[in-house]
Amino acid sequence: MVKNILILIIFFYILALLQTSFFIHFSVFLKSWANWALNLIFISVILINLFEAGKSYFGYISSLIGGFFLDIFSNSFIEINFFGFYIIILTLITLFIKLILKRYVRPVIRLGGQG
Amino acid sequence: MKLPSSFKIGLISVLLISFFIVLNLTGFSKEIKNFFYLISSPIQKTFWRAGDNMSDFFEAISQSKNLKKENEELKLKIQAFLAENIALKDLKKENEILREALGIGLEKNFKLVISQIIGKDISSDTILVNKGLNDGLTPGLPVITSQKILVGKISEVYKNFSKVMIISNKESSFDAEIENREAIGIAKGKGGLKLYLDFIPKEKEILEGDIVVTSALGGIFPKGLLVGQIKDIKRSDIEPFQQAEISPFFNIKELETLFILINW
Repeated sequence: MVKNILILIIFFYILALLQTSFFIHFSVFLKSWANWALNLIFISVILINLFEAGKSYFGYISSLIGGFFLDIFSNSFIEINFFGFYIIILTLITLFIKLILKRYVRPVIRLGGQG
Repeated sequence: MKLPSSFKIGLISVLLISFFIVLNLTGFSKEIKNFFYLISSPIQKTFWRAGDNMSDFFEAISQSKNLKKENEELKLKIQAFLAENIALKDLKKENEILREALGIGLEKNFKLVISQIIGKDISSDTILVNKGLNDGLTPGLPVITSQKILVGKISEVYKNFSKVMIISNKESSFDAEIENREAIGIAKGKGGLKLYLDFIPKEKEILEGDIVVTSALGGIFPKGLLVGQIKDIKRSDIEPFQQAEISPFFNIKELETLFILINW
């Protein structure tokens, strides 16, 4: 578990640095759709939550770590300068994804398996 | 006693939000950010250079189709520039003599701090530069390029780093005037690297391509800094003012070195 968390910290740290220093030179990462820039950390956290095992806490940990690095290296998109903004937003997204998966997706998959 | 899970989640949320509020109110979050910027700046510089080189390479490949056409256009442009260059050289000579006579060098008017960009956050129209409190920077200072093009102003200052709010940021607003038209308006950021000039009196005639410079009104920026070119003019019979989109003179992708005006 500790090893996984360490890997996650390094992964998100490098992703944050790449997003603000490397990918900025490529036009696909500039305002691409409706004034929203592509945010790799956001996408990674959502993907981790979607594909992790049902009872794992890895999604919550990834939202905390990812949110922390976004708070450091990125300004919030609604012009509020509040450290912890992205941690809260990503945690809420994680809770929402887990709720949807638990209530509506996993029961259907289970039923499909039985049938 | 076993606590219900909804109570646990609520308790954790309250504790987490309280922790962040304390962190923001005490200013400790700035210390944390400064620490991370400090340890990350060498890596960011390396990534920056690599990204710059790679994007140049891919851009060259993608544009190879248009090279012939572009080459012909450039040749024509060179001829025009050569003619302009000769005229400018004469003007430069005259200007130098006048400057010497009046003693109005740029360095005398502005106290400058040179800084390097180490990160850009396009989603919020901000830039991170490698100069901060230790270099005498304070929030609100104007940031320009070497060609006197206005980029923005300092919005946040850390010990060794500062955040620059680009003029296209939604919170950015300052007085600007259209050169040779005596028309003054308010330049406002639109987000997404776009900005527009608002409240231009209707009776003033403006054209696409007109140059927008900063005005001394408001005291936010010194007078005469280049902002951009008028692109799209919106006039309405009902509105007492006209509006125009401004195309900024700086290219966000090419910005590397910036000057911060400490005194003007």
